[in-house]
Amino acid sequence: MRWLHFQPIAGRTPDILDAIMGSPEVAESGRVAKIIRLVCEELVVNVVNYAYPDGVDGYLDVNIDRDDRAITIQLRDGGVKFNPLERDMPDTTTPLKDRPIGGLGIFITIKKMDDVRYEYVNNENVITIKKNLSNET
Amino acid sequence: MENQFEVKQDGTILNIVLGNELTTVNAPLLMDELNKYRDKGIERVVFDASKLTYIASSGVRVIVFAKQKLGGDPDIVFVNCQKDIYEIFELIGVQDYIEFVEK
Repeated sequence: MRWLHFQPIAGRTPDILDAIMGSPEVAESGRVAKIIRLVCEELVVNVVNYAYPDGVDGYLDVNIDRDDRAITIQLRDGGVKFNPLERDMPDTTTPLKDRPIGGLGIFITIKKMDDVRYEYVNNENVITIKKNLSNET
Repeated sequence: MENQFEVKQDGTILNIVLGNELTTVNAPLLMDELNKYRDKGIERVVFDASKLTYIASSGVRVIVFAKQKLGGDPDIVFVNCQKDIYEIFELIGVQDYIEFVEK
């Protein structure tokens, strides 16, 4: 289990992603690493841009765990309570010219991961994603 | 500049040369740039994706923006789109609205 703590987080999305991607648990996970990056970028940018009101010195904790079967990443923040899984999913059959422009990030997260969970525990948003290593795409 | 882009108008065609990545950092910058071409008679938006190996959802939003906001419902073209990028388009269900060209 690896624990990464980021504070402050404002404007630091690239640094946070680099640290996650640089952890051996992710860096040595082959093709899955690219999917992890895609999903973590969506989740991290949500926390960095929207979790905390302006001027608040927010934090983001990231726990990364990997065994032979799966990689599991948990993100915790102490910002405004927000469950991204409650967001309406985009209708991918709507013609592009009529398609709402938002909601793609969490849609990609749910589609690309094998498990996505949200909890609000001890005043923290906790989102946990899991990707099976035997099911890489 | 690996992760940057170039935008040039050639008549009714808007040519965009993408860098290696279209991320949450540089996609909003590209969207700002495209915003300058609203209602300029663009009929075709051509993304040269020869170098592109990674696209975040914010990158896909740029394509949706180009289709919806430039005016005139322009055609969207991707040149030399790599498999990983195409798979993201497929996942989101935008591949049928993009013309893919190999050069």
